[in-house]
Amino acid sequence: MTNLTILIIGALLSISILYLVRKGKMHGPYATWWLMVAVSAILLSVFPKVVDWVALKLGVTYPPTLILVLAISMILVRMLTMDMALTQKERKIRRLTQKLAIIEDSLKEDK
Amino acid sequence: MKTLIVIPAFNEADNLKALLPKLIDLVEGDVLVVDDLSQDDTVEVVKSHGIKCLCLTVQLGAWGATQTGIRYALQYGYDHVITMDADGQHLPEEVHSLCQAYKNNSTDVVIGTFPDRLSRLKKMAWSFFKFLTHIKIEDLTSGFRLYNKKAIEVLSLRQASMLDYQDVGVLLMLLKSGLTIVEVPVKMQDRYDGKSRVFSSWLVVLKYMMQTTTLCIANIGAKQTK
Repeated sequence: MTNLTILIIGALLSISILYLVRKGKMHGPYATWWLMVAVSAILLSVFPKVVDWVALKLGVTYPPTLILVLAISMILVRMLTMDMALTQKERKIRRLTQKLAIIEDSLKEDK
Repeated sequence: MKTLIVIPAFNEADNLKALLPKLIDLVEGDVLVVDDLSQDDTVEVVKSHGIKCLCLTVQLGAWGATQTGIRYALQYGYDHVITMDADGQHLPEEVHSLCQAYKNNSTDVVIGTFPDRLSRLKKMAWSFFKFLTHIKIEDLTSGFRLYNKKAIEVLSLRQASMLDYQDVGVLLMLLKSGLTIVEVPVKMQDRYDGKSRVFSSWLVVLKYMMQTTTLCIANIGAKQTK
């Protein structure tokens, strides 16, 4: 029955993401990433044997650990890129604030 | 030689009232105050003295405000920037010593230091950072500095915007760009009022120490870019 659960989660996730993109609440790379997550969930639920096969090839004795390790690594990678994106945003805000102050001053000067 | 004196200010109306008249009397060169979203009447005080005041719309902290002044200097072609604190710690009469040291030493950056001012705790922190970074400078946080054109260009860069304090990070950037730094001892006064920002509470100190340590470790072995 777990396969069915995962299938439902994947399907709900896909629908939510497509809905968010339609409403303009998520864009570009983020939407693609999450859609990929949803699609992999669906694929795994339909073909659960894939995990066993990959685990066997990689020499992992207990296949579920493979999924967990992969999932956690992906989450960590995602969090890291999120913080990188935040840093970039922070830099842009700082630069913009400084520029705004300088330009505001030059506008006053012209009057 | 065009010199711009940059003073970052956050809620410093009272201190500026005392500082600005002295500064205008004693120092040649333009003065620019960068207001970091003060809640008191800092901006009015500055304008009433006929001094230019840039107002930030988002609070950026002391270094963000200082960098605004440095970018302003770059845009308007100033040759030197002198930064000083608004709290009256840095004396206008000592600006002269910075300029003198700059002329005598053919260096890119002059830092005015007052070694006696350092508490034992600060000294410990500084020697720790010096050990990590191999910076040979006595007072790492002194905000009383003179930057020349080359230093202004380096500090206006985008990378410099991600620094959080005007201390180790700024010094590392300058050194990495191959610029030279000279220290001169200057007289400093106790603050007219108010307390040190960086060393105000244990939590702030802890945050500062952690961030700066990370920055230092990340810069170990970084090569000179020029």
